[in-house]
Amino acid sequence: MDKENLSFKLCQNCQQEILLSNRFCNHCGKSQLEIDKQVHENKWLSLQQVALFFTIEVLCCASSFLIEENNLFTLYFLDAVMAISAIAFFGYSWIENKIILKWPNFSFLKLTWLIIATILTSVVVTFLVNHLNRDLLHKDLSYYSIFEFHKYGRYLMFASMALYPAIFEELAYRGYLMQKLLTVVDEKEAVYISSVLFFIIHFSFLSIFWLFPFALFLGYLRIKTKTIWYGVFVHFFFNLTACFLDLYPLEDLYKMIF
Amino acid sequence: MEIPTNSHCNACYKAYSPTDLFCNGCGYPLQGTPQEQDFFLSERNVKEIDLSSMNEAVRKAGNSLFWIAGLTAVSSLFILGTVAEEDRSSVLIANIVLFVAFLGLGFLSKSKPTAALISGLSLYLIIQILNAIDNPLTIFSGIIFKVIIIGYLIKGIKAVLDADKLKKELNID
Repeated sequence: MDKENLSFKLCQNCQQEILLSNRFCNHCGKSQLEIDKQVHENKWLSLQQVALFFTIEVLCCASSFLIEENNLFTLYFLDAVMAISAIAFFGYSWIENKIILKWPNFSFLKLTWLIIATILTSVVVTFLVNHLNRDLLHKDLSYYSIFEFHKYGRYLMFASMALYPAIFEELAYRGYLMQKLLTVVDEKEAVYISSVLFFIIHFSFLSIFWLFPFALFLGYLRIKTKTIWYGVFVHFFFNLTACFLDLYPLEDLYKMIF
Repeated sequence: MEIPTNSHCNACYKAYSPTDLFCNGCGYPLQGTPQEQDFFLSERNVKEIDLSSMNEAVRKAGNSLFWIAGLTAVSSLFILGTVAEEDRSSVLIANIVLFVAFLGLGFLSKSKPTAALISGLSLYLIIQILNAIDNPLTIFSGIIFKVIIIGYLIKGIKAVLDADKLKKELNID
């Protein structure tokens, strides 16, 4: 017998002492699952809330495809809508969500190692993605083109490609979504579902090879460390490296040094 | 035996002690009249039938993921013939990724139904949205089939949650 099974509680109906593990009172037959019922109804509600939030995200991302001329204004407008919705949904369940904004067991060493590993991975991934795009799809993707005309284009690019996703995507996916999913499913499934949603929102099927494992890793990090901050840093440095390589391609850097 | 028991419950086969008036696993009236006991068992039977129909809904939802995978494979054969030469490789890769993804989700739905069904549903909806952005008329092609698939998936997700609750109530596994 488990030790915890032998502790007692009071029946909700007849107030007699019963075992904590009892699903029904052995004196009056009353079900002790009333609290479970509440939890169960909340599960379906949680899923609906998740669906609503994700629909807003999808609509924002999809409308950028529908707009013929993508300029900085529409980009920032949609970013702002997504950021506000992420904050609103996160704040709506503030009591249960605030715990992951804390940073327990902060370890500078761990963070440094994570950042170094992230930068190295990002270099490899960017290199592979560029080659995949060029050789297989005959496309040359550049994030910079949309920012090029602006005087501070580089800084704007770093802000909207590295800083913005690091904070708000983490808040939305590893923060709000995962916290809600954990009330419905177990940890493994929550990591898995949030990663799939994170992959889907990027609207790129080819990126499954690196985006999905990346999301799984961020989800694992969030569960393991019980904070979103390691994820924020990893995400930031991953995107920052990709942006940097977009401005200064590896081939050019190689030529400069040698 | 650590606890003194004289028998096992008629409904859920959990061991009970002689002082119990009701089974603490399922609420069966151990000391009740035969009528009370029969009434309890018939109610339990109804719930067990509900449970099996929920499991059936989950199974159907899982199978619809296999259907999506199959349809992706078939439709990609047609699409590949119509697209321009330079787009062919990207369309092919996208379709292979989707086929493998839905096939994998179909198998996953046997062990982790919630995760597989939610992922499958959102992936399927996104594909429809992307197709609609590309060509709005694609929404209407095979719309009955699409609605049926989406219906099965949503029903399946709800059935998983309901089945979990009912299993607890009936003290099964």
